[in-house]
Formats: sequence, C-alpha cells, structure tokens
Amino acid sequence: MSGATSPPGETPAYYPGCSMDGLGKAYEVSCQMVLGTLGLPLDRIEEYNCCGATEVKNLSHDVSVALPSRNLALARGMGRRTVVAACNGCVYSLARANDAMADPATSARINARLAEGGAPAYDGSAEIRHVLEYIRQRAGAAGVRAAVTAPLKGIRVAPYYGCLYSRPKRYTKVGLEPGRDNPESPYFLDELLEACGADVVRDYPAKTICCGGGHALSDLDVSVAFSASVLNEAKRAGADVVATICPLGQINIENNLDRIRQSFGEEVLLPVAYFTQLMALAFGRSVREARLRYNFSRPDLFFRARGFA
Amino acid sequence: MPIVEKSLVEGLQRTETLEVEGIDVSGDWNTFIASRVHTDLDLSIVDWVRGQPQGTTIDRCWQCGTCTAGCCLHTDYGLEEFNPRYFIYLAQLGFEKELARYAQTVWRCVSCNKCVERCPKGVKVEEVVHSIGTYLELSGTAPKSPADRFDEAYTRNLLERGILDEAGLFQAFEAGEGRTLPTREKLRMGLKLLFSGRLHTGPLAKRTRGWGRLRPVLERMLAEDLAGRRRGLPSRRPPTGGP
Ligand code: SF4
Ligand code: SF4
Repeated sequence: MSGATSPPGETPAYYPGCSMDGLGKAYEVSCQMVLGTLGLPLDRIEEYNCCGATEVKNLSHDVSVALPSRNLALARGMGRRTVVAACNGCVYSLARANDAMADPATSARINARLAEGGAPAYDGSAEIRHVLEYIRQRAGAAGVRAAVTAPLKGIRVAPYYGCLYSRPKRYTKVGLEPGRDNPESPYFLDELLEACGADVVRDYPAKTICCGGGHALSDLDVSVAFSASVLNEAKRAGADVVATICPLGQINIENNLDRIRQSFGEEVLLPVAYFTQLMALAFGRSVREARLRYNFSRPDLFFRARGFA
Repeated sequence: MPIVEKSLVEGLQRTETLEVEGIDVSGDWNTFIASRVHTDLDLSIVDWVRGQPQGTTIDRCWQCGTCTAGCCLHTDYGLEEFNPRYFIYLAQLGFEKELARYAQTVWRCVSCNKCVERCPKGVKVEEVVHSIGTYLELSGTAPKSPADRFDEAYTRNLLERGILDEAGLFQAFEAGEGRTLPTREKLRMGLKLLFSGRLHTGPLAKRTRGWGRLRPVLERMLAEDLAGRRRGLPSRRPPTGGP
C-alpha cells in the first residue's frame, strides 16, 4: 500500500517539535507510553529545530521552508523515510516544506542556504505522518483493542481533531493516498477511542473547527470564542471529556478556561485531555502515570470520580 | 459595484413595497444598489501579491466563494465582513479604497486552512489573504496588527536558539503589547510548569546543537526577504509598518 508508512518494519523518525518538549510534556510522556505498549518504536531526531509553525511563513517564505527542511534532512540522514510528528502545526509545516521543495528552483535555493549554514541538503523525499495516523496505520483498531486492560467503559468522549491534522490535503496528502484518514470528516481518532472502549459521541461537527490557537495571544476574542465552541459543541453532543491530538489546541483551550467561564458560563466547561493520555488509561496506566493532573482542566478529578486509579 | 454581502454594501436604496406592472414584487427585489463609477483602481496590489512566493496563486481565483462559505472566521465566528473571496476580488480589481475598509479585518485570519483545503482552483487562499494583509500594512493603509507583531516575536525567539522558548515568547509578546499578568498568577503558573518539567525558559531554555552556524544564514535570508517585499510597493505613500 503506497499510502501506508513505508517501508513496513522501518522505525520511523520522530520529530518532537518544541511543544512536546515544553508545554506539551504530558502529551510526550503519554505518547511514548502508548507507542511502547503497542510496540511501535520511534527514533527521535535529537538535534531538531523549531518548524516555524504558521508564523514564520508570513515574514519569509524561504526561512519557513528551510526550517522544516533541515529537520527532514536529518531524518533522511538517519535512513528514515517516514517522519512522525504529534503536533498539528508541525505536521502542517513539515508537509508544506515538502510541497515547496518539490519545485527544483526552490529546492536549489534553499539547499544552497542550508549548506552555507552547515546543515544537510533535503531532497523532498520524506513522508509526514501525524502520530494518530501512524498508530491507526501500524496497530489499527484491532491492535489497540488487544492492548486494552481497563476499557473506558461509559466514558463519553468528543474526538477533537482541529485544523491542521489533515488540512490542507495538497500538503498533508491525507485523503489522497490509500490508508489515510478523511480530510473533511476524519475518523481515525473515533476508531482508536472506540477501540479503547470509550463511548465516542457522534454528531460533533466541531471536531475539525479551529481552536483559535494561532491567534491565542494576538486576538483573544477569536481564540476564546473558538475554544468555547470546541467545548460547548462537545457538551451538546453529550460528551464528558474532549480528546485532543495537538499541543497547541490543548494549551490554547486550557489557557482560555477562565475567560470561557467568564464569557460563556461554568456550564460550558469540560475536562480536556490528549488522546494518548486516554489511551494510556485504557492500557492500564494510572491517572498519575498518564499525567492527567498536568492538564489545567483537571481530567484527573473526572477520571478518579469514575473509578480510575 | 463589487459582489459582497448585501448588508455590507454602502448606499443601498430600499423601497417599502415594489409594484411592477400592477404586480406586487416586494421582498428582496425592493433593494437597489446605486450605480457608481470607480476610476481610482490601481493594479499594483495584485502585481505585488503575485510577486510574493506566498501569493503566486492569486490569479487562479474564479470567485466561486467556496473559501468564504467554509471560512471559520466568516461562518463559525460570524465575522461577516471577513470574506477572503472578496479580499481577493478587490485585490484583482486594484480597488484599494474599498479594501482599506477592511484594514482592521484582513489580519484576523487564523490560518485554519479550510479555504486551502476546499478551493477548487488550487489557490493558497490563506497565504494569499496574508499577502494582501501584508501589502496593506507595508503600503501604509493598515497599521501593524497584533498578529504581525506576534509573527515577528515568534520568529525572533526561535531564531535565537533553534528551539522556541514558549514561556519567553509569551512574556516578551505580552510585555510588548503592554499587558502583564498579575505577579501571583505568573508565579502560580510558573511553579506549576517548573515542577512538571515544562518550563524551559531563560537559563533553562533549550538550544539546537550547531545552531550557531545556521542562525546567521537564516537571519540574512529573513532580512533579504523583508527588504525584498518592500520592492514593488507604490511610491505614493511612504511605507510605514513592518520591521
Ligand atoms: S475558493 Fe478559491 S477559486 Fe473560489 S473564491 Fe475562494 S480562492 Fe477563489
Ligand atoms: S485560513 Fe483564514 S481565510 Fe482560510 S478559512 Fe481559515 S480563517 Fe478563513
């Protein structure tokens, strides 16, 4: 299957990105836990640099392509074709660099600059995967189900994918290759959470709306309104907890909790957790091990009340 | 008159009821747009946008409106005057005077990329919209927006060590905007982050090995691009915004 991570059996490179090593620490820790249980090792790109997210491109096209290209070149230098990232923003900018480097003139220009700075050249040949897609492709729902020892029975979860997990497909190739998710109505997270025994809420069209994270600091009205929608729509769909797949989304929503409470009321609030934290629970890890207390929305309190150790 | 939501059109004329040849056709028909002649069109904006690597796809737009229909700011947030299709249209026309009415709006695009995902013509709408916003800023029509200031703070922060210092960026940006968290709040958050291993700021900030060599090259690239985008701006106004 050409769209599956290739070649099978290869250990992909892992691009952590700044958030996983910073504010998204609980995501990083729970991610490694889940990948370990499923027997899906990743090789970390040790000397990575920031991918530039969606900000740098507004100032300089070439810098915004050079930053991710350096990381992808390091991965290729490790002999890896597949590069797995856990942050939607990283997936977006790595995939965008691939698209730009397919143009020979751009590629020559950027590589000349990378060489000048002592960085390896990049040939545009890496394949980018979100860790969610990677787990779904390699372990599948069946593999996840087999690893579950503490099913999330009766826990109603809203699967929140956010913006850049699959969008735009011209960069991410999601939906354009076999074995990939659906870019307009993604379902891989639904499947994995169901495999964990959770009761995944249907009718949650907010699953792919923006969290406003890109403007978390520069346009508070917008970022608070979007974060509130993510929670409010989840609540309307009957969810107890929202599962996220992006550190930016998680941090933005949680950072806005007080303002959401002030503007929209207490009843909008819900606990929010990384999907890997929920999977770790289902794999028998404790609330403490899954680092649920790290989250400002305190999903630890919710899960303890539901009998999780 | 450009095509735009009726509520945003200036100079609408309405009649209470409308009868044509004895038949009552009141309703939406009773709204008229006064005819206007515009002569002050200037194509330098679309020429400039097309000349940016981020804006090359602007000419492909055939004005279907798919981007606006799905735009999260327009549709979910309900900011009716945020209309990417219309911004592109005005740029294509060179109708800067009308575009200037949206000087405080264009920058609010949150880069959700739904427009890029859905555009049937392969327009990189999000980047084109940002380019239009940059043009407005550089040509002095719009003030520098908070989003532009954030992009700059972000880029400066990451170029320093190769890895973003999230807490440092937060502090620097907020201070630059004249906002400060109450000390107690800052202390509470800082301690929580520190004890959970999530605070890598100041002396604890991470750095990419070998960055010292690449950093000056990237800084030169950035400076060249920032200077390059000032080329092709109309000379009628002295450029103000921008670094
Ligand atoms: S979707 Fe594409 S072609 Fe249609 S109006 Fe928007 S930019 Fe133009
Ligand atoms: S990227 Fe910007 S213009 Fe495009 S849909 Fe999102 S907010 Fe609207």
